Amino acid sequence: MARMKFLCDIERCIDCKGCVIACKEGNGVPVGINRRRVITINQGKPGERSISIACMHCSDAPCIAVCPVSALYQRDDGIVLVNKDVCIGCGYCFIACPFGVPQFPKGDTFGKRGVMDKCTFCAGGPAPNFSEKERRLYGQNRIAEGKVPLCAAMCSTKALLAGDGDKIARIFQERVARRGTGAKAPGWSTAYK
Amino acid sequence: MKTSRWMEVVNLCLLSCLLGGGLAYGAEMLLRGFGAISTVQAFKEFGVVVSPHWQEYSEDFISFVNGVGRLYLPVIVGVPLVFLIHFVAIGPKGFEHRGRRISFYGLFTRFLHWMCALFFSLVVVSGLMVVFAKALGGGSLVLSARTIHLFCAYGFMVFAAPLFLIWVKDMFPAPYDIKWLLCGGYLSKRKVEVPAGKFNLGQKMWFWLAFVGGAVMFYTGYVVSGLSLPQAQIAGYVKIHLILGLFIVALFITHLYMSLFAVKGSLRSMISGYKWEEEVRVLHSRMLK
Repeated sequence: MARMKFLCDIERCIDCKGCVIACKEGNGVPVGINRRRVITINQGKPGERSISIACMHCSDAPCIAVCPVSALYQRDDGIVLVNKDVCIGCGYCFIACPFGVPQFPKGDTFGKRGVMDKCTFCAGGPAPNFSEKERRLYGQNRIAEGKVPLCAAMCSTKALLAGDGDKIARIFQERVARRGTGAKAPGWSTAYK
Repeated sequence: MKTSRWMEVVNLCLLSCLLGGGLAYGAEMLLRGFGAISTVQAFKEFGVVVSPHWQEYSEDFISFVNGVGRLYLPVIVGVPLVFLIHFVAIGPKGFEHRGRRISFYGLFTRFLHWMCALFFSLVVVSGLMVVFAKALGGGSLVLSARTIHLFCAYGFMVFAAPLFLIWVKDMFPAPYDIKWLLCGGYLSKRKVEVPAGKFNLGQKMWFWLAFVGGAVMFYTGYVVSGLSLPQAQIAGYVKIHLILGLFIVALFITHLYMSLFAVKGSLRSMISGYKWEEEVRVLHSRMLK
């Protein structure tokens, strides 16, 4: 079965943050929570590169291994999701995640954390498909509609690839071969094995 | 006339330099590409920004979190079981509640103690609910327990600070404390005069663990709840919080057993502020000398 993956082609990413906005707006992500972010190195200098980062839906996800209530789980297609009805907001997943992905909304009571929020690969959550609860807690379920995640769909330079891991790897390899350089994505051994 | 010819030569030289330099730079950019680093190098640099020390602490952290949770069950079952055996086999220590009553705890001290007891008990119970979150089904019940945990931690610190200052002068270890331990501490039913001042070694141990340990728990919990430090550091704070918590829970159960069951009248003395003379003579003999 295909395993869903993201891959950001840093030679194409132009730091427009279109993916971030698309994700936030399309999924109704509250202020202060960023399911996706863009990181830039060497800003303003030769060698400036940007990368769009969200949950990498790791094959052997550390967040699942560390979750004390098994709120995190992995679907057959490799998408890692969180059950917000079970999550206790302990923050262990944030500590264990190699990409610093899990986000926690700040509550009013003593700045207490709420339950964890992260990229769902636009696959909704454990609530019934297309239900109001799924939309409210997790956002859109574009995977059930046969569409790619919003961020990848909106990417103006098609730097952000999403879909079957084998296929996007092939697309990236072809690009790299055409450009004549090599690539080793961060977290390769964790997320792509 | 001569000067203008020289100016023309200088201008020509400058123009040649500019054109030559520009052409050379352009040729270099075409040959090397516009980026000064390769894709591989760029991905490596991103790795440093995104997860600088992940490989150093992650595996250890994951196995720790999964392992330490299993230690709490033996503590909350094993320690009460040991005391149950003691209660059945040896029984509680009773004293005659007659004769002179000796003032032990002032009104303000008792008020502080009970406020600390209230918040501390809630912290322990809510903390255990977080540890056993999976058995409780997680979700809103445990989220509420986390809120109580956080609120009560602040509450405990407010009342613990003045109580610490009141009691600390009597809580430093003394040479005779070792004799208290050799006499069997509280667990012996024999009524021999145990060498102890206002507080015996058992109380002193509980004091330092509850107050200093409580302060460490408060600080580490504060850091963990904020999630504002680098992940590797937060992982260290989680470890301290969970290991120290294990000892605090064990001594909390011990304190409950001693005050509620093992020494009869102990609870009443913390309510009234007085202890009967016989109890003071046996358990705090140096106070009468």
